[in-house]
Amino acid sequence: MDALTIRNASAMPAPTWGWLRMNDTKIEIPVELAREGSVTVEAGEDLTENHASFEGALTELQERLDAARGDAEDTRACVRAAMRETESLDDLDTPALSTYQRRATLEEIAGDVAAAFETGVHIDVRSYLNFLAGNTVVLATEQGEDAAATVRVSGVSGSAAGASVDVVAAPDSSIDLTISLDGNAAGSDVAGLIGSELRVFAGARSHVDVTVYMTADAAFTAIDDAGYVLDEGARVNVRHIVLGGGRTYTGLASDLRGDTARMDIDTRYLASGAEQRDFNYIIRHRGRKTISNMDANGVLTGTSKKVLRGTIDLVHGCKGSEGSERETVLLANQGVDNKTVPTILCDEDDVAGNHGATIGHVRPEQLFYLGCRGLSQEAAEALFVSAKLEDAALSAPDKDIRANVVRLGSALVDDFADFEEEIA
Amino acid sequence: MSTEALLSVSNLTASVDEKTILHGVDLSVRAGETHVLMGPNGAGKSTMGHVIMGDPVYTVNEGTIAFDGADITELSCDKRSRAGLFLSFQAPVEIPGVPLSSFLRASIAGRPGLEMRGKEFRRRVKELAAQLDMDTAYLNRELGVGFSGGEKKKVEMLQLLLLQPKLAILDETDSGLDVDALSVVSRGMDAYRASCDGSLIIITHNTRILEHLSVDRVHVMVGGRIVREDDASLIPWIDEHGFESFEREAADAAEAR
Amino acid sequence: MAKQRTEVADIDRSLYDFRYGEEGFERLDAGLTPEIVTEISQRKDEPEWMLEFRLKSLEIYNRMPNPTWGPSIAGLDMDHIVTYVKPNTDQKADWDSVPDDIKNTFERLGIPEAERSYLAGVGAQYDSELVYHNMQDTASKMGIVYSGIEEALHEPKWEAIIREKFMTLIPPTDHKFAALHGAVWSGGSFVYVPKGVKLDFPLQSYFRLNAAGAGQFEHTLIIVEDDADLHFIEGCSAPKYNVANLHAGAVELFVGKRAHLRYSTIENWSKNMYNLNTKRARCDEEGEIEWISGSFGSHVGYLYPMSVLAGRRSKSSFTGITFAGAGQNLDTGCKVVLGAPETTATVETKGISKGGGIQTFRSSIVATPAAEGSAATVSCQSLMLDDESRSDTIPSMDIRAKNVDIGHEATIGRIGDDKIFYLMSRGISEEEARTMIVNGFANPVSKELPLEYAVEMNNLIKLEMEGAIG
Repeated sequence: MDALTIRNASAMPAPTWGWLRMNDTKIEIPVELAREGSVTVEAGEDLTENHASFEGALTELQERLDAARGDAEDTRACVRAAMRETESLDDLDTPALSTYQRRATLEEIAGDVAAAFETGVHIDVRSYLNFLAGNTVVLATEQGEDAAATVRVSGVSGSAAGASVDVVAAPDSSIDLTISLDGNAAGSDVAGLIGSELRVFAGARSHVDVTVYMTADAAFTAIDDAGYVLDEGARVNVRHIVLGGGRTYTGLASDLRGDTARMDIDTRYLASGAEQRDFNYIIRHRGRKTISNMDANGVLTGTSKKVLRGTIDLVHGCKGSEGSERETVLLANQGVDNKTVPTILCDEDDVAGNHGATIGHVRPEQLFYLGCRGLSQEAAEALFVSAKLEDAALSAPDKDIRANVVRLGSALVDDFADFEEEIA
Repeated sequence: MSTEALLSVSNLTASVDEKTILHGVDLSVRAGETHVLMGPNGAGKSTMGHVIMGDPVYTVNEGTIAFDGADITELSCDKRSRAGLFLSFQAPVEIPGVPLSSFLRASIAGRPGLEMRGKEFRRRVKELAAQLDMDTAYLNRELGVGFSGGEKKKVEMLQLLLLQPKLAILDETDSGLDVDALSVVSRGMDAYRASCDGSLIIITHNTRILEHLSVDRVHVMVGGRIVREDDASLIPWIDEHGFESFEREAADAAEAR
Repeated sequence: MAKQRTEVADIDRSLYDFRYGEEGFERLDAGLTPEIVTEISQRKDEPEWMLEFRLKSLEIYNRMPNPTWGPSIAGLDMDHIVTYVKPNTDQKADWDSVPDDIKNTFERLGIPEAERSYLAGVGAQYDSELVYHNMQDTASKMGIVYSGIEEALHEPKWEAIIREKFMTLIPPTDHKFAALHGAVWSGGSFVYVPKGVKLDFPLQSYFRLNAAGAGQFEHTLIIVEDDADLHFIEGCSAPKYNVANLHAGAVELFVGKRAHLRYSTIENWSKNMYNLNTKRARCDEEGEIEWISGSFGSHVGYLYPMSVLAGRRSKSSFTGITFAGAGQNLDTGCKVVLGAPETTATVETKGISKGGGIQTFRSSIVATPAAEGSAATVSCQSLMLDDESRSDTIPSMDIRAKNVDIGHEATIGRIGDDKIFYLMSRGISEEEARTMIVNGFANPVSKELPLEYAVEMNNLIKLEMEGAIG
């Protein structure tokens, strides 16, 4: 059997020059993997026995949006441009659109939540992970309820395991979801795959916290594919801790559909050896006064490679919204390759979008401070690597995940066992 | 040059961006002594501390810095630290992603007599934190991120006590303004002197920090030059008269040059 | 009550929007065939290698796809673009010999006036050919060569150099319109500044495309030898038609060791223009390229000047502004390759979109493994003047070297109501207040231009801002 290859995965919405090889990625699903490994969901019965569904939640939201929609004719230049059959210079006031701009305009005027729903990696990945999972677990809260759940995917060499989870947070409820994507190769270099597929509907004023720890050994391919829809006033906090995995793909797409919805994403990653990290974040601001923050902080060592695509899309109508993204990357070795594309798309004027990236070595003032405490540049860089692991261990949601981090850390850092003893 | 001096700075001239900040400064500190470096704002006091510590921002144009019998003028700051020099910062820099405990462990790694195993390290650090009345939860937080002024000061003093340097330069230019910070620093200095009888250079323009402290020498700096050196009796005099007379004399001297 | 929105009437661009007939002009057939390419070459009496180069480029053009990531160029029907229009004159060295229509064009654009007052030399191209070229004696005495590139191609000494450099920075395989340029290029300037020579006054080339449905494909080749210094200014404009015009020029700049080149452009093509221009500079050790770029015109623009920092400690700076009004989709930015140790690059851009116009900032910073100790900063600000326009920022960074320092900042937003209110409370009209703020926003670019060009740029902004208040 040939390897299954998913092309055009984790694609950024508005592409740039092809020669940069940043627009998207190709995911190779290793051949002949058995469909096994363990997937467990730890959640109270009240969460899994609620009959709400993700689709149902979207339908209900759609009805409300449609009811609120005006029927005024839209004569904006981009709409005229997107709707016309052929391009002609007879009308010099109508601009030529790029393929992306045309699609974005059509999607905006359609106003169809379900049709616009996307996940960050790829629809084919969604199908594949759903197939691995067999069935989708629905975690639905009751109005006003506070709940928590943990999903653990533990891969073994030579096999593929995936989880598929829908979260439907009822209005004014809160849910704290932890996903552990771990693969213990136990010294084997036989390939394995783990992944999780997540769809989240965050109802009005709900709070959804999602923490994903990726701690797989280098023989594993790991995929974290997620799509979010936020209703009015919903708050979503996402933490992505990506520490291990030979090839990892983290994709998140978020539709801030309701007014005043807010999404915060905190990503921390480490790549060592010949590992490859791929991140694709797409945040679409559609409701008014929506807020998003993306913060990524990473360290690359060995000959590792990383791509991070972060897109803030300020869609027409999202008045008063603010989106920001920031990335700090430390390149701790000659031979690493860091690619960053922080994109802002903006079709609205009363908004603020900003992004920043700092790539390179330890900042001079940090280096001097660390030097004053006896750390050479090499020691400072090593500190950033071990600190990434120690920080992840210290803030791990539970002891099993902490043990996974420590397993990975002991393989990467010489005296990590010392740290393990210290925090035990 | 006195052979018994622990730190000996001679004829030190240093600049930043081609602007000379220090002009031929001499300073000598013997083991166990406590010195105070005073002067008005912008006199070059903090620069002095940074240059002694080897901040690469500054260029040493002339002069030498000798410490513990060795010329350290050309050494990088991490080597100076390992030789037993310490500089406290007004505030530690923020280093997101690096827990305070990870940083502390890295700072003692490979130091003879200071390196500790995991449990022992945790115990020692918690002990010092208690001494400084510092919440141990900070140990797991990212260095400097979201710390208050007092907490930042505690982090600096904690390091002073953990590293036990032979000479500590405490840059307290701003501390005089904050009562909490002041008491943290006083407690830190007392504990440091009690535990290892180390030498101190305290940089300040506020004399309150010097109360209850036995000071051996006072140096007054104006315009990048040491303009006066005396014993502790100079402190109450400055308290009363300020730095105006020194500044006037310095201005006259500059005119004469 | 809803705030009144921008309503842009067709802007009075009469300053640039005037046209003359083509009596006596020679037009080749529209479209692209080996026959047309061969005819262009034969008319120019070119060396054989150049014809071969053209034909090879045409092959490449035919097999390369159109770009898929940028603004649509579906309105550009290559079968109807006339690639070669020769005006009814040969190149002259004094304005009086230039035919009246053409001379009047350049008079109205202020070129001879500028030449008299502060330029060291001027080249003026009308459609496919240079019609005027002149340089002051002082400059020629310094050994500077500034001539039409075709003219230089007929001198054996320069032919060898041109052959060695021509389309090496921008190979025809680079993209489809580079290939097109290779096939049908015509006109443009050749500048050679010898070692150590520093020219105090700028040289200028002005490109005017008068013919409807035509393309302009000039090639600019500048060599600044070691320790030399040059400021080169490029201007362009065209009258407006309701058929597509195409500009696919190429600019290749070679900056020697410790040499300095400033390349300033105010692009003001008419709004039926597809501007698919390519500019690239290569810097040797400690050489420095400075790009100043103002993009105002065109229906569709693709413009990303590129700096290849090939020598240790070479430098690049890019300062650009793009103003997209009604009907415009301008995709602009820059590319930098940090290809040697301790190179530095700065990019500062401003983008403005208004009246349904679309402005995209696109960039790439690539640091190769050889770039140890290099630094780059990119700063990009976009201003939205209404909620019907669009502004996208798509920067990219590929960093493969250690000990580098790469910083990127971008912001997008609109003019704060508080600023408008403040100015209006001091008795300034809203339109005037907005224009002032936009001019202030553009200031980092205009202050880098010679005064006369800064004034032109501010006037262009003013033109674009007129009628901006409903």
